[in-house]
Amino acid sequence: MANSITIEGLHAGYGAVRVLTGIDMHVASGETVALLGTNGNGKSTLIKCITGQVRPTQGRVLATIEGKPHDLVGRATQDIIGLGIAIVPEGRRLFPKLTVEENLLLGAFRAAARPRREESLAFCYEAFPRLKERRAQLAGSMSGGEQQMLAIGRSLMTLPKILLVDEPSVGLAPILVARTIDTIAEMKQRLGLTVLMAEQNFPQAIRIADRGYVLVHGRIELSADDPQSLKNSDIVRRLYLGGA
Amino acid sequence: MNFSWDLLLNAVTSGIMLGGFYAAVAVGITIAFGMLDIVNIAHPAFMVLGAFLAFLSINTLGIDPFLSALGFAAIAFVFGRYFYRAYYHFFERRGDDSLQGLAFFFGIMFIVEISLVLIFGVDYRLIDLPYLATTYEIGIVQIPLRLAAPCLAGVAMLVAIQFYLSRTFTGRAILAVAQDLEAVRFVGADPIRTKEIAFGIAMASAIVAGVLLIIIQSVEPSIGREFIGRAFAICVLGGMTSLPGTLLAAMILGIAETMTSTFFGPSWSPAVAFGLLLLTLAFKPSGLLGR
Repeated sequence: MANSITIEGLHAGYGAVRVLTGIDMHVASGETVALLGTNGNGKSTLIKCITGQVRPTQGRVLATIEGKPHDLVGRATQDIIGLGIAIVPEGRRLFPKLTVEENLLLGAFRAAARPRREESLAFCYEAFPRLKERRAQLAGSMSGGEQQMLAIGRSLMTLPKILLVDEPSVGLAPILVARTIDTIAEMKQRLGLTVLMAEQNFPQAIRIADRGYVLVHGRIELSADDPQSLKNSDIVRRLYLGGA
Repeated sequence: MNFSWDLLLNAVTSGIMLGGFYAAVAVGITIAFGMLDIVNIAHPAFMVLGAFLAFLSINTLGIDPFLSALGFAAIAFVFGRYFYRAYYHFFERRGDDSLQGLAFFFGIMFIVEISLVLIFGVDYRLIDLPYLATTYEIGIVQIPLRLAAPCLAGVAMLVAIQFYLSRTFTGRAILAVAQDLEAVRFVGADPIRTKEIAFGIAMASAIVAGVLLIIIQSVEPSIGREFIGRAFAICVLGGMTSLPGTLLAAMILGIAETMTSTFFGPSWSPAVAFGLLLLTLAFKPSGLLGR
């Protein structure tokens, strides 16, 4: 079944500040799409437009879940999650004073996920043995890498069709960044997800991306259909590699 | 000070029974204040409302207060949800909830009290349940059923709420909403609806506590004020968000108060709650079972 996201002519901002101008973008079913750009170019705002945390001033955000189209603009975040779109938010946003298991079980809150919570929990513990070891520990007392695993686990507990990942590398040591990116690729493969990942760590992100968009000053400067052309583009070289 | 084992054991026993009642009062404060950040100082006033409802139900309808408590609790739950929705709409949503919210609940407290005065007058009221007149004696310890039954009911209510919070999806969302309101949305829950339900539970618990109160002692409309300090002290001592902590703290306060009034005189016992509160804040600000 098709699970995709389409964004058309999207403008968004905070008060008088315009952050995004005329964004057109598509994430097709089963793809991993990287949303690239350095800090402050609007990646997170774009993700927040999809999750309903920021209301676009103009344009459309459409999602197709199992072949059914949904218009996401104007919906509350919890309703968008309820459709089957999960988010691993920037900064992880775990519940620090709840245990690992309580955090995971909360992930199964939405109606479609509740009946399969035991199954999902077993899946998470199998995929992240570390979480099983620490199931009774408070989330806030875990290391950054473990918390990132928990945030991914919690998002998977919602049984999503589409997974949004916002800046998974922030605050992690380089070795953990690589591991987190691998984990996302693995989960995408195992669960047949459609993934949109906002990331500033370009070399890591394109390892797993099928396609990519590069966001500069709130506009899509480059839309690349394969990782190789992303790597070879002038814009990427200028932004990331310091070339002229 | 006259010490005897007889006095000590009886003081501890009645302290535990008092503690069970305190737990019933404080559980709603722990939910509203500890978890939801709502400084509901009108909570004990709603408790007194519950006491008068029990008084009415037995004297006019002849319904047993333990039975009517369940009905009142259900109504109070629904009322509490609407009450929170109004509070959210007028205060929280605008970010005016700290000082204005406090003033709002202060006003609500007076409205409830004055309404009760206008309807019932300022006299003390008591209900008499013949089946609770028994006093069990175990050795030198006396256990009057009139105190033991409310204690058991209070503890049972707290345990039931704890089960609800730790075992159900909405319950866990209530625990989560206290920590990160917006992040609750990321698991597909509506934080405002979650807080509504939690406040409904707190309101229902206040009414039940009131039914227990009028079984234990005679009640007049402004008696709730005596419990404001105690309930908040228990909440802080227990660790703000922990119901097991609330139960433990309620027992400690109950025992400390009866010991104080047995050995040093009843005039000292109101000071116990604040003494415990100060000691907690000074030595263990996270409370007994705070996470």
